[in-house]
Parts: sequence; C-alpha cells; structure tokens
Amino acid sequence: MSQSTAARARGGERMNFIEHLARWITWPRFIFALVMLFFLTSILFPFYWMVSSSFKTYAEIGGRTAVYVPGALRWDAYRELFDPNFGARFWNFGVNIMNSVKVAVPTALIAMILSVLGAYAVARLQFRGKSLMLNGILAIYLFPGILLIIPLFAMLAQIGAKLGFDVQDNLPVLILTYLAQTLPVALYMLANYFRTIPTEIEQAGLIDGCTRLDVIWRITLPLSVPALISVGIYTFMIAWNEFLYALVFLNSRNMFTMPIQINTIFNDPSPRPHVVMAASTIMSVPILMLFLGMERYLAEGLAAGGVKG
Amino acid sequence: MTTSLHPPRRASRWRSLDAREARLAWLLILPTALIVFGLVLFPAVFSIWISFRDVGLGNLHDVFHAPSVGLGNYASVFRDFAFKFQNLGNMGAAVNSIVYSFAATILTVVVGLIAALLLNRPFRGRGLSRALFLFPYVTPIVSVAFVWRWILDPRPSGVLNDILMRLHLIDAPNAYLATRGLALLIVIIFEAWRYFPFAMLMILARLQAIDKTLYEAAEVDGAHTWMKFRAVTIPELRYVLGAIFLLRLIWTFNKFDDIFLLTGGGFGTNVLPVLTYQFSFKSFDFGKGAAAAMILLVILIVFLVVYAMTVMKNVDET
Repeated sequence: MSQSTAARARGGERMNFIEHLARWITWPRFIFALVMLFFLTSILFPFYWMVSSSFKTYAEIGGRTAVYVPGALRWDAYRELFDPNFGARFWNFGVNIMNSVKVAVPTALIAMILSVLGAYAVARLQFRGKSLMLNGILAIYLFPGILLIIPLFAMLAQIGAKLGFDVQDNLPVLILTYLAQTLPVALYMLANYFRTIPTEIEQAGLIDGCTRLDVIWRITLPLSVPALISVGIYTFMIAWNEFLYALVFLNSRNMFTMPIQINTIFNDPSPRPHVVMAASTIMSVPILMLFLGMERYLAEGLAAGGVKG
Repeated sequence: MTTSLHPPRRASRWRSLDAREARLAWLLILPTALIVFGLVLFPAVFSIWISFRDVGLGNLHDVFHAPSVGLGNYASVFRDFAFKFQNLGNMGAAVNSIVYSFAATILTVVVGLIAALLLNRPFRGRGLSRALFLFPYVTPIVSVAFVWRWILDPRPSGVLNDILMRLHLIDAPNAYLATRGLALLIVIIFEAWRYFPFAMLMILARLQAIDKTLYEAAEVDGAHTWMKFRAVTIPELRYVLGAIFLLRLIWTFNKFDDIFLLTGGGFGTNVLPVLTYQFSFKSFDFGKGAAAAMILLVILIVFLVVYAMTVMKNVDET
C-alpha cells in the first residue's frame, strides 16, 4: 500500500517534471540549448580525446575500434616521455620542457622590460617621428613570419660567422627572434593602458622632484600591475607555442622546444598517438588552467590581438 | 609664422625641455626599435634582394656574393606545378591560398557571430562557458592540430571513422586528410574551429556596448526578434565585422603552422607560406623561396591597402 503510493508519488513527480519542462521549453530556448550543446561538444570533445588518449596503452591506440574510455589510468605514454628505463623508446621530454621554459621565460621578462620603457615614451612623451615609428611597429604585426625567416637565417648566419656563434641550436638567437615578434604587441597593449592612467598623478611626482625614470618605477608601474601581468602571459604564450622559427633554427633533439619534439614524435615511423597526446596535454594544461582561472583579465587582451594569429 | 622664426626667450627654454624629453623618449624606445627594425624591417628588405639571387645551402654563409639570376627565381616559381593553377581539382598554392583564406575567414566570422549572440544572453554558467569557448584559440597549435589528426586518423581506431562505421554511414575507414577536396574543406573547418573565439570576443564587446534604447524603440515599433537583429544589431556590428574580417584574412593568409601540421601541404591544401618553406628548407633553393614569399607579400599588400583605406580611416574618424 505504502509502496504503491510512493510509486504514484514518484510518477506524479515525473509528470510534473515533464510538464515543467514542456512549459519551460519555448522555441528560442530549445534552439539556444541545441546550439549551445553543439558548441560545447565540438569544443570539449577534442580536449577530452587528447587527455583520455594520453592514458591509453599502445594496444588500445592501435586496436580495431576506438576506445572511448581508457581501461585504466595507464601511464605508458608518460613513461615513454620521461622514464629512461622504459623500453627502447625514451624521448627525454623533460629536456624539451626545460628548453621551452628557457626560451619562454626570458622572452616574457625582456619583452616586458623593453616594452614598458617604449610604451611609456609612446604614451607620455612627445617626439618627432613618433607616429611613424608607432605605425611602423604595428604594420610589422601584420607581416608574415615565413617571409622573414629566409633573410633572417642568412643574416644571422653571416653575423654568427663573424662573431663566432652558431645560428642553429642557439636558444638566445631564438629568444631574439621571439622578441621581434612579441615587442610590437606588448608595446601596443601597454601604451594603451598607460594612456588610461591620469597624468595628474605623474605630474605631482615630477613636481616633487622625481625624474622620469623615478616616475615610471614608482608611479606608473605599480598602477599597471594587471596590464603587466597580462602582457607577461601573452609574450610567454607566444614563445611557448611558437613553431616555425624553432623548426628552422633548432636541429638537435636535446635543443628542441616542446612543439618541435612533439612534431618529431608524431612523425616517428611507428605511429604513437598516445605519446603525442601525452606531450600535448603537458604542453596545453598550464595554459588552459591559466585561462580558466583568469579569463576575465585575459579575454580583453585577446580581443586586442594579444595572441597574433 | 614670425613667432616661430624668432621665438621669445621663454619659449626657447621650454623647447630645450622638450628636446630633453624627446631625447629621453628616443632612448626609451631605442632597444625596441632596434630589435624590431633590425630583425623585421631589414630582413624584409633583404629578402627582396635574395629573391633575385641564386642562394643555396652552399653559399648561404656568403650570401652577399650570391650571383644574380634576374627574374629567374620568379619565372621558376610561376612555372612550378605546386604554384600555378591547373584545374579546379588542382588549384596550385596561389589560388589555393586565396580560396582557403577567404573561405576560412568568412566561416570564422559567422561562427564567431553565432557564438557571441549565444553568450550575449544571460544564463547560468555564462562565465564558465565563455572561458571554455576560448580553449580552441589559446591552446598551442601543435596540440590542437595533432588532436584533430588523431581524431581523423585513417585507421579504424580513429574516432571519426569509428563513429561513422558504427552508424553504418561508411563501410571502410577513410583517410580524410589525404583525400583531395575533402582535405581542403577540413582545413577550412579547422580554421573556423580554432579562430572563432577571437571574432567572438570582439563581437561580444561591441554587442554589450549597443545602446539598449535602440532595442526598446524597435519594440515600440512592433519589431520581432529577427527584425530587431536585422535593423539594430547588424548595423551596429557592421564596422567591427569588417575589421575582424580583414584582420583575420591577413593572418590566415600568412599562416604557416596550421596547414603544415595538418596536411604538410599535401592533397590539394598547399598554400604560399608552406610552399615558401618547401622551396627554402626542403629543396634548399632560398632564392626561389624568397621569390614565393615576395609574391605572397604583394598579395598581402593589396589586403593591407584595403585595410588601411577602410578600417584605419574609420579609426581616425572616431
């Protein structure tokens, strides 16, 4: 008796839910939900596929059907990347991670320092040729990287022969080319931000006897911390993700940055997608976490062209 | 006129202060200017010179003495089967580049517009959705390109093949990225998938700045959703849509990584940047590579002139 009332009550609830749903759903809402579902699936599925494939075994990767959920968290792919005792293949990926860090961190730091100085000059000081220089730097932003790589390679090879350094497998040379790519956008973003700081505050500092450099260091910079962080993150990302210049300038495996090593693993004669996916996961997760946590601050910079391309 | 020729003493003191400021300004911007002009502007000019020379691996280290070949490199590019248009199934890199960048850009802007309209209305989880929508754009290109290659893998363990075979839409696995025509289409769809968030963010910012009273006025006049969209939203977005279109067109046209990683330029997907790379770093004919890059640049300059004449003019006006 009591059981049947419970069942009826449950049935009634279900009726209510469906009725509720039927009343809630209107055509616009239905279309909205459908389109939203389409977007979320097509965006998130590749990321699920990347992470889940990195935990599959070689047998699961090369089987007769796709494996949608890995049987267990298998670390085979990660061990192939990091564990020198794992089988015949060992990619020594730790070195590649370090190379990427060694390139991306100095690029971000130097770009920040130089662009703060340049952006201050552009935003606050008057000088002849300012607009020409600014337009020149911005126009460069629209230049194709592939156009520059041939002359840059030839040019740096000449200078290197004179000064006695190698162009290839030389991380500082790579950093220099990344600076040329990141400085224009860093300068542009920072100058825009500096213009929003009221000049009165700086003038007060100047009247109190500060020099311009004092003003930059003590007044402008503390007020620009959010802009500095986002410029730092963008320049870091450009160097972290860069593919073409690293592909041309790096030759030996222990100098490769992550993107080039991943490309090498992908082109291995025996296909190993799980290892490629594991390496891709390692490379992407820090960036994705950053965006998930700081989306509000970073989205604005993206719209301003923070990541060229 | 006269005052500027014979400035009063006070003005000259100010001018010297101005001069000091200007010197400081130059000092501050000098490192940036040196790096950018030395590593971008000079190489760009130098590349014109290289395009008229015979430069191979042998004389790369002595490039300034490379023998001149006149227009030989250009002629050789124009004659190359990878470059020139033959038929619709085999369009060559030049025509391919234009078709690919226009199609990909249009699709990117349309998808970005839909996504922006989707996120412009309030709903629970909007902030999280906006962050998730940025994922394709901020993830390193190498990662996303290889994930898509793995999804489209020609073996039966490739997930797209698996799904289509389970649905009995195909009998045997397909090599999607190794099929002429289909490969180009997939590359275009990939571009829209990766770059729509950029368009979305810019459109979203503009949408949120639209004066609400315009919609209210339209409602008073009895306009429905679609009419409001056509009569208010689209005209308000016209400028930003044009700006995004040109910017994305230029960037897509310049893009090397995406196609190189997805298809390597094979199966009817070769574009000028990838062709330039192949001439230079596969056949080691740097002169021919530079000539291909110059042709790319000429087409790009046409885009840039249009950009300057439309978008930058509007910026000056506002």
